[in-house]
Amino acid sequence: MRALDRKLLRDLWNVRSQVLAIALVVASGIALLVMSLGVFGSLSTTREAYYARYAFADVFAGARRVPNRVQEQIEAIPGVEKVQTRVVVGVTLDVEGVAEPVNGRLISIPERGRPVLNDVVLRRGRWLDPDRAEEALVSERFAEAHGLQLGDRVAAVINGRRQPLEVVGIALSPEFIYNIGPGEFFPDPLHFGLLWMSRRHLATAFEMEGGFNDIALALTSASASTERAVITELDRILDAYGGLGAIPRSEQLSHWYLQNELTQLENMAFIVPMIFLGVAAFLLNVVLRRTIAVQREQIAALKALGYSNARLGLHYVQWAVAVVTLGSLIGIVAGLLLANGMLGFYMEYFRFPFLTYEVSVPSILIAIVVSLAAAALGAMGAVRSVASLPPAEAMRPAAPESFRVSLFERLGAGKWLTQPARMVLRNLSRRPLRAALSIVGISFAGAIMVVGSAMMDSMDELLEVQFNIIQRQDLSVSFFEPVKRSAVHELAALSGVMQVEPTSGVAARLRNGHLQKQTAIQALAPDARLRRVVDVDYRAIQLDRPGLVLSTLLAEQLQVEAGDTLVVEVMEAARPVREVVLTDTVDDLLGVAAYMEEESLRRLVRRDDTISGAMLKIDSQAEERLFGLLKAMPAVAGVTLRSAALKNIQTYMLDNMSMVMGVNLLFAVIIAFGVIYNTARISLSETSRELASLRVIGFTRAEISSILLGELALLTLASIPLGLLLGYGMIAGAMSAFESELFRLPVVVETNTFLVSAATVLGSMAISAWTVRRKLHDLDLVAVLKTRE
Amino acid sequence: MNVAVTTRAPTSPAHPAPVFAMRGVTKVYSMGEVEVHALRGVDLDLHEGEFTVLLGPSGSGKSTLLNILGGLDAATAGRVTYRGGDLSEAGERALTRYRRRHVGFVFQFYNLIPSLTAHENVALVTEIAHDPLTPEEALALVGLKHRLDHFPSQMSGGEQQRVAIARAIAKRPDVLLCDEPTGALDISTGIAVLEAIGKVNVDLGTTTAVITHNAAISAMADRVISLADGQIANDVRNGAKLPASAIEW
Ligand SMILES: Nc1ncnc2c1ncn2[C@@H]1O[C@H](COP(=O)(O)OP(=O)(O)OP(=O)(O)O)[C@@H](O)[C@H]1O
Ligand SMILES: [Mg+2]
Repeated sequence: MRALDRKLLRDLWNVRSQVLAIALVVASGIALLVMSLGVFGSLSTTREAYYARYAFADVFAGARRVPNRVQEQIEAIPGVEKVQTRVVVGVTLDVEGVAEPVNGRLISIPERGRPVLNDVVLRRGRWLDPDRAEEALVSERFAEAHGLQLGDRVAAVINGRRQPLEVVGIALSPEFIYNIGPGEFFPDPLHFGLLWMSRRHLATAFEMEGGFNDIALALTSASASTERAVITELDRILDAYGGLGAIPRSEQLSHWYLQNELTQLENMAFIVPMIFLGVAAFLLNVVLRRTIAVQREQIAALKALGYSNARLGLHYVQWAVAVVTLGSLIGIVAGLLLANGMLGFYMEYFRFPFLTYEVSVPSILIAIVVSLAAAALGAMGAVRSVASLPPAEAMRPAAPESFRVSLFERLGAGKWLTQPARMVLRNLSRRPLRAALSIVGISFAGAIMVVGSAMMDSMDELLEVQFNIIQRQDLSVSFFEPVKRSAVHELAALSGVMQVEPTSGVAARLRNGHLQKQTAIQALAPDARLRRVVDVDYRAIQLDRPGLVLSTLLAEQLQVEAGDTLVVEVMEAARPVREVVLTDTVDDLLGVAAYMEEESLRRLVRRDDTISGAMLKIDSQAEERLFGLLKAMPAVAGVTLRSAALKNIQTYMLDNMSMVMGVNLLFAVIIAFGVIYNTARISLSETSRELASLRVIGFTRAEISSILLGELALLTLASIPLGLLLGYGMIAGAMSAFESELFRLPVVVETNTFLVSAATVLGSMAISAWTVRRKLHDLDLVAVLKTRE
Repeated sequence: MNVAVTTRAPTSPAHPAPVFAMRGVTKVYSMGEVEVHALRGVDLDLHEGEFTVLLGPSGSGKSTLLNILGGLDAATAGRVTYRGGDLSEAGERALTRYRRRHVGFVFQFYNLIPSLTAHENVALVTEIAHDPLTPEEALALVGLKHRLDHFPSQMSGGEQQRVAIARAIAKRPDVLLCDEPTGALDISTGIAVLEAIGKVNVDLGTTTAVITHNAAISAMADRVISLADGQIANDVRNGAKLPASAIEW
């Protein structure tokens, strides 16, 4: 090994704790980058392979009842490659040992052969025997949640009759990777499951013989124009059979959600790592500048010996590269481990039959290139100072640093300062840029903590608003088909029911020029108390004017504002097409929706006074009995319990967020420690002669510690408010980035979050201070004063 | 300039071409308002194999002169040539090459790399030189064969200075420039260091210039030059050259 390389290694070893502190900051950034890209790559690849292998469809449509012969007509649409027709119905299920209502979706599979589209993956057990009516395949997460084994029985309530079904297989489908029940926002495998049944038996049970109510298509080309043309034609054909409007794959719920998640991962992949690498570049720069200052005579001597500027510049670039390489290696390993953990978590919520784990080499290369860029950035200015150092300097000791009276003192506050305080201020004001960058660096640590726990705050707020202000019912009931309004009275008569409010809605397509959106318009009574629409301040909005109210996001997608007119194509009854005025928009937190006052909606649809479901407030004492009664009602297709939904989301959050919080805490401490510790070590190196001299003339250890630690404390304290502000800004940015049709998180930061953030930063300072103080105690007075520098 | 490619030109013994030639060299340091004239018109020739001692009071410009000869610093005005090549016109790259190929430096403050051992400090030079001594040979020349693996902090000032000399001579330099090599040393150590320098001068025929405050050292020189206030005040040949060991301090 060359002597100069040996010098490099020994120099690095001498400042190993600083090197490690910086390397860990680099490692955090790289780990996040590798993790995000790794998870993104693995999930995308896995999804594509899954879709391809199990023939995920391109277009989806539902209808009331379509005769089988229409299938040929659909197959004949230009651009259609394959057609899969099915019978799909929602039912309530009766699972042993579970009193609460459980909803199920029954999906038909062909008697012979496998589905041509939206195929089913058999995980365990066997395929259905077409001759036996009472067999079903059950979705995997549902089976796991209920501990269902092959041979176990589940009862589906069909037309008020319990139809026992034997579990002969456990299955998955690319159509339900993310699987949520009607009216839900999160997957809840305990309360919603999929059951596949033989087409003939399912059709018989629901009077669907000779027909179907669900269509999936594969297209010959992926072009948007083909897709649009096919959807238009399919809608035209289904019009006569109560078509509910066809949607492209991009709007299919499971796909849409997964896509959303992937986009988020991809966006996250670069932003946060850049913060870490930026801080690392700053630290490298500061430490390298200091190293070069200490070694200026060595550099001059090396120049005098005939080493060129380029060679010596390279020497210090290697210094930075070595630190970053160490960080990258740690980061890559940690990133791969984190990616593994994250994938495990995703596999729990998104079920795939296999995982193509992509240890994506490009993502690692990207990580390395990016970190080297950080090294170059950090080394840049420092190396330039090496080149400009004249070799004759080797002959001369360095001139004393120039100091000036700090601004604070110039303002006249100086007379109250003790000498140590004066030294602290002058040290800081000598290098104001560095002090400022240190403050910014530390503030990122605070900001990361704010972002982490503000996520929790926002989620709490969301749940509070959604489940206490907007949805105040204990449970909601949906019917197979619209029923007479008098059903409200039947429900109210059940014992334990305290309050009933009808719900009804129509499937509709909203159009503004070429922009259109498939949705359901919910009818709301002007005096609704259980399900309400609220404004920004969470006050109930009175729906007493005829006209449409839309979620802000939906209005934005359709590019309409209050006062504009929309075309509403009703997909039910006489299928009227009307112009309706948008009267208002609301900032819905969960989901997007369209609302109308019930009387106006009824007039718009021109149908009888029917309802499609009801909201109930119940007496918790009578709960269990009531569940039994509801399940037995033939008209009831599903029952959703608010408390169960809430508990499910909370469990999810606890799982997800505690992991995120742990990782965030670690990263915040790394970044705070990295900046504070390095700042402290450099101050120590710059002032050790001064401090040693003070010790010699009689200052105590505590007194000289206070000079150094005072500087640290000042920087840290200044960084806290900045960190909180920065964190608030970042969380607001993140929330608008996360905003989707599924949920919109309110920007809420609780006082506690600020406290946790400040405490983390102060804690990191305490650790750094303690480490440096030990160095200070070990200060070898004789050695420090003897060395020339 | 092409100092780097200039090799020792065959010289006639009667009129030997000088190794260094300085003509009207001045050096002015301007520090804001104040101008310090470190050298005021120096004319000087140094010849092949000559052992020159530079004397003079503090601030008289000795170090400045030596730095300019060694290509560490540039003259403000005047001409400096090394074997006919113009140093005063040379750029940064050419000066680096000149230092690397031809010059050995010994600094007053040793300037060893603290993180490298004696052997490695010398290797620093032998690795980039053409046809050098091995670090072991160079350290043996200064009597430090047994201290190869010691770090500067583990050696005395005299030992460090001898490592610095070994580092300077290891490349078999054409010229050896020493700035107060014995300034910080006691008598016997100083003599050991001077012996090492004298040995290189005699054995390898290296043109040598040594700055000192100690006039006694003049006894071992071929030539003694005194500087005063940036000018050459005196330039004498020493007829009775003594070995370093015979110097009376
Ligand atoms: N970088 C510099 N900036 C300004 N003035 C300088 C610089 N280097 C040297 N000088 C001045 O030039 C003059 C000559 O300095 P030089 O170092 O050559 O003296 P010297 O003879 O080597 O003295 P000493 O015996 O003390 O080492 C002095 O007045 C010194 O102050
Ligand atoms: Mg000098």
